[in-house]
Amino acid sequence: MSRNHRVSLALLVWYVAVSVWTARQPADPQFWLLASILPAVFVVVLIATYRRFPLSQTSYALITVFLTLHTVGVHYTYAEVPAGAWLQQAMHFNRNHFDRLVHFSFGFLFAYPLEELFRLTGGIRGWLLYYLPVMTVLGLSGLWEIIESWVARMVHPELGVTYLGSQGDIWDAQKDMAAALYGALLCMGVLAVLRVWRRLRPELAPDVMVAD
Amino acid sequence: MAAGARKPGDQDAPPRRLALGLALWYAAVWVWGAIDPNDRQDWLLENLLAIAAVAGLWLTRRRFAFSSASYVLITAFLTLHAIGAHYTYAEVPFGFWLKDWLGLSRNPFDRLVHFGFGALLVYPLREIHVRLAGVQGFWSYYFPASSILALSGLFEIIEAIVAILVSPELGTLYLGTQGDEWDAQKDMAAAFTGAVLTMAWVRLRAAAGRSTGSP
Repeated sequence: MSRNHRVSLALLVWYVAVSVWTARQPADPQFWLLASILPAVFVVVLIATYRRFPLSQTSYALITVFLTLHTVGVHYTYAEVPAGAWLQQAMHFNRNHFDRLVHFSFGFLFAYPLEELFRLTGGIRGWLLYYLPVMTVLGLSGLWEIIESWVARMVHPELGVTYLGSQGDIWDAQKDMAAALYGALLCMGVLAVLRVWRRLRPELAPDVMVAD
Repeated sequence: MAAGARKPGDQDAPPRRLALGLALWYAAVWVWGAIDPNDRQDWLLENLLAIAAVAGLWLTRRRFAFSSASYVLITAFLTLHAIGAHYTYAEVPFGFWLKDWLGLSRNPFDRLVHFGFGALLVYPLREIHVRLAGVQGFWSYYFPASSILALSGLFEIIEAIVAILVSPELGTLYLGTQGDEWDAQKDMAAAFTGAVLTMAWVRLRAAAGRSTGSP
């Protein structure tokens, strides 16, 4: 078994372990079920495409970090995650910001895997390679907010926006999308700087596993 | 080359007469909209982006000429937007007529224009992606639809910022939520639906063109 396969397998085992832990006594079983469907489908797709279209180890690692964060949020329900509550107290926020953090992470952690996908299958070059992942993240965030609103109206019509973990903020959807957008912009910015740095001063550039 | 793979290129660039006609049409609509709008401030706010878009199209007309179809679609969208800006979206007469006719609880004109944004502008957007990025196949339908959804989200974000910063009263007018807490999501869904429908139609037409062998 090559090193790459071992890393992929380790990431998968990690994700399954985290999932099993969170599947036991989630704070809100119905929410847990609903919010676990998409990640489960996504992981199955990643496994199914692993042989034909393997992503880089960096991409798999980034995706695993994101899925772990999401799984934690789903276990406690986002508005009640202890780490977020601690942050709220420490920084005197008026709400638990764990969900916003995960929206930001979605942008930051998914932009590179998307860039890789477009670079390898779409044959995209130049500045569009940085632009399209950002737009895709923003589009997916919008899609997520749309789906979330449908689920909320179907499952708990009486709760309205409170179901979404908007915690009473009427601009919650917009702020979530903006957080993802900033995350994606930051990731693409870092990637661009890294590539320019490598080209100009290869001996000083940090040894990060991203493609040139 | 098959119809689906054909790059919409300069050979499709609009004849001067069509370009002039569209420009005159939009200028006429714009002047009509500028005369005594329902709310001058809102009209101004709504027109900032529209003017920027027209200026952008004018400046890039040689470097990146869209096809005739694209210019017609863009003009159609800008016309709808000019009407919405003139009356303010929540007060457009045609919307009230639709509301009575369909028994709706709100004036649906803004939702219609969000749908129009996706349905009409996804086609020119596809031209940009195909010609600038050289995307083909599935991606050439996916990226434009995804971009429409992303731009819709970006609008909702900008609208929220404007509403929070500028003035809460004008904000709600500009936003035109008409008291619906899901307004942002419904607007984005309308635009995305429009974009997906147009892309599906373009894809089907390309497939039909291939099977009959005609361009």
